[in-house]
Amino acid sequence: MALFEVQGLTRRFLGVVAVDHVDLAVEAGQIVSLIGPNGSGKTTLFNCVTGYLAPDGGRVVFRGRDVTRLAPHRIARLGVGRTFQLVSVFPRLTALENLLTFLQQHQEENIAARLVRTRGVRRHEAQAIDRALALLESVGLSSRADALAGSLSYGQRKLLAFAAALMPDPDLLLLDEPAAAVNPTMINQMKEQIRGLHRQGKTVLLVEHNMDVVMDISERVVVLDHGQKIAEGAPEAIRRDPKVIEAYFGR
Amino acid sequence: MEDLFEQLIYGLTLGSMYAMVAAGLALMFGVVRLINFAHGEFFMLGAYAFWFAYRVLGLPYPVAGVAATLSMGLFGIAYQQTIIRVILHRSWHVQLIATLATSIVLTNLAMIVFGTQAKEVPTALASRILEIGGLRIAWHRLLVLAACPLVFVALWWFVHRTKPGKAMRAMSQNREACAVVGVDIERVALWTFALGTLLAGGAAALVTPLYNIFPDMGALLTLKAFAAVIVGGFGYVKGAVAAAFLIGITESLAAGYVSYAYKDAIAFVVMVLVLLLRPQGLFGRRLGI
Amino acid sequence: MRPVRWTAGLLLLVAAPWIVTELVPNQQRYILHVLIFTALYGALALSYDLVVGHVGSLSLAHPAFFGIGAYGSALLGTEAGWPFALALPAGIALAALAALAVGVPMFRLTEHSFAMGTLGVALVTQIVATNWVDVTRGPLCVTGIPKPQVGALRIVTLPGFYWMALAAVALVALLYHALTTFRLGRAFHAVRDNEALAASAAVDPLKYRMLAFAIAAAVAGGVGALYVSYVGVLCPGELAVSLTVNLLVMIFLGGVGSLRGVLIGAAAFTALPELLRMAPTWRMVIYGLLLLVVVIRAPDGLDALLRRRVAASR
Repeated sequence: MALFEVQGLTRRFLGVVAVDHVDLAVEAGQIVSLIGPNGSGKTTLFNCVTGYLAPDGGRVVFRGRDVTRLAPHRIARLGVGRTFQLVSVFPRLTALENLLTFLQQHQEENIAARLVRTRGVRRHEAQAIDRALALLESVGLSSRADALAGSLSYGQRKLLAFAAALMPDPDLLLLDEPAAAVNPTMINQMKEQIRGLHRQGKTVLLVEHNMDVVMDISERVVVLDHGQKIAEGAPEAIRRDPKVIEAYFGR
Repeated sequence: MEDLFEQLIYGLTLGSMYAMVAAGLALMFGVVRLINFAHGEFFMLGAYAFWFAYRVLGLPYPVAGVAATLSMGLFGIAYQQTIIRVILHRSWHVQLIATLATSIVLTNLAMIVFGTQAKEVPTALASRILEIGGLRIAWHRLLVLAACPLVFVALWWFVHRTKPGKAMRAMSQNREACAVVGVDIERVALWTFALGTLLAGGAAALVTPLYNIFPDMGALLTLKAFAAVIVGGFGYVKGAVAAAFLIGITESLAAGYVSYAYKDAIAFVVMVLVLLLRPQGLFGRRLGI
Repeated sequence: MRPVRWTAGLLLLVAAPWIVTELVPNQQRYILHVLIFTALYGALALSYDLVVGHVGSLSLAHPAFFGIGAYGSALLGTEAGWPFALALPAGIALAALAALAVGVPMFRLTEHSFAMGTLGVALVTQIVATNWVDVTRGPLCVTGIPKPQVGALRIVTLPGFYWMALAAVALVALLYHALTTFRLGRAFHAVRDNEALAASAAVDPLKYRMLAFAIAAAVAGGVGALYVSYVGVLCPGELAVSLTVNLLVMIFLGGVGSLRGVLIGAAAFTALPELLRMAPTWRMVIYGLLLLVVVIRAPDGLDALLRRRVAASR
């Protein structure tokens, strides 16, 4: 059984079909890229599967469980993490606090379970901070741990958002254009991060325009055009697929 | 049976008033995305302007009506140039609070200048009753019911056939594109405001002879107009107009058959119900005005 | 602020009635009255700031919760003979329940509709208070509201009310601090500043908005109950929308989202009538203009302004 499956997903906007009966399956531990020309429905698909948009038809299944109509925070709680196309942080919180927010729910459940501030709870909080600092270290932001996220550069915020999504240790990570609008050094850093996730056995689904990145790190590539899935397969096969070439460059 | 029919006429009259006010508000929200909490006060000031022109200056009804309407248009321009221009690009919190503050200032100034006692401005037509069948309807009501569609036809013509009107429609559909193409956003905002306040002033000139005027009548009117805008689909003028009539008729019937004291509350309950059952408004989310 | 300054300030506040009696004996009643109002307003403004400043929901329904707490405790006291010790918590509970009832439908709405909806709640509550004469006496007002009494301790003197109000605002300030500074505060601010991101972090925006809303309403209800026990009379006019305007002036003038700012704003606002000895209508005109200027020019409020001056002079 695939870790994550989209079945016949459809979503319309004011008469235009943004996502048209798309089927997609992602096996555990895979890195899958979702590509397609602008307006092909990639981000709409992301928003539908993470609960921000209600699909007009179809199902979203995560670990065999139908999550189609769940609110975003519930889907997140099940172990799905995501980043946003327009980089999203909490500007008035520090970098460290940004990360700690992603463990809010876990911590509250933990406190509720123990009901009183015992040593166990405090240990949990200390662990949370350690984890946050370690993640900041891994993206090279430990020096900015106490800086307000709003004061970071675009690239730094992008890394911060990436680290934050990893805080709750999600099994499935949805990355919306991780290589967009950043310099080549950062792109390499991103690729390394994603490969690192793969080594840890995490599953990654990413939307990406940067073909080098896609070809370099993906195991499978899915291509959308005008809301429909037009091709699917290994990166090399996709690169040569006439339908894909036609979608991008026209006849 | 006649009773019901009369109540319906009252409801339509009320609805006409709400519709004109709501149309102005929908335009402002649709075109410049502005929350204008002081809109009801334009109606209120228009009503007092009409009273002043008709009662104090002794002008004949049509002249007084036109004077009141135009004076509100001018006032709207002044308001736009002073306050709106400043808050147009700020967050909607700022817009809401600033216009709420303006509403308070205008209401209290009106209390000071005109006193808190309600005023009545019955015109000749308002006192003359038409009797058909078992019905008794003031002639002025028929005037309102006849004038209202004319107002909306004129509005439609302006928005679809004139240059500023077309610019307004374009902006309501795609603001960024307009900026790129070189549409003067400030100018369009000015037109939108003038139009909105003209509608409010015109509504006041039309219906004031039928109702009382008092300084804090604006607040409830703003709320109901907003209810119509929201129920009608947030900036979709036709939707706001339809919703306004719905609210007017419901309120009138409720006042007549359920409870006069709570009629305002009932109108609000309608709004909340619609919002809960259909958050995108009765007509769904439309693009543009 | 250092502990020494804290205790000194606290002692000063507690000793105020005696200090005032010593310094300005013939103004004593008046000044204490102003101080009581300042404290109650301060508590009310803090509760409002929880919703507006910390979860970012522009609710206009606060007068309704203040009114429900006021009418609830007042009527239980006058009609049902409930002692203050029961009427006060009842007022708080009623306000909190009203907030839950109102909040569930309201928070499903987007921001503008939420503001409209909550304004409607405030207006409807005032309409009901004015017209349900059988219960609320309408414009005739509820009179003879019993003074606070807990066991043998009865509050009848001005200094007594002052200490009650001071205790109330101190408690609310502590609550405010606890809710906005630690982990919970972080969640509130996350929801306020980026709701979509908060949801992706498994933080349920509705849950936290409702929590802040209900707590704020409970406090407002409590202040309402204390207020009527002091004034002794309750009329529907107390629930007017102008109360929201006053609260908005206080928190924006002082500093949205800041404990010190809101308290400064409340103090400044209550001191204003002293500088503006004029008819209530003129006063509202000034308040309106003040709010207009402040929200446009200095949305961070006096507190931020003062902090910048202090920082610049260091």
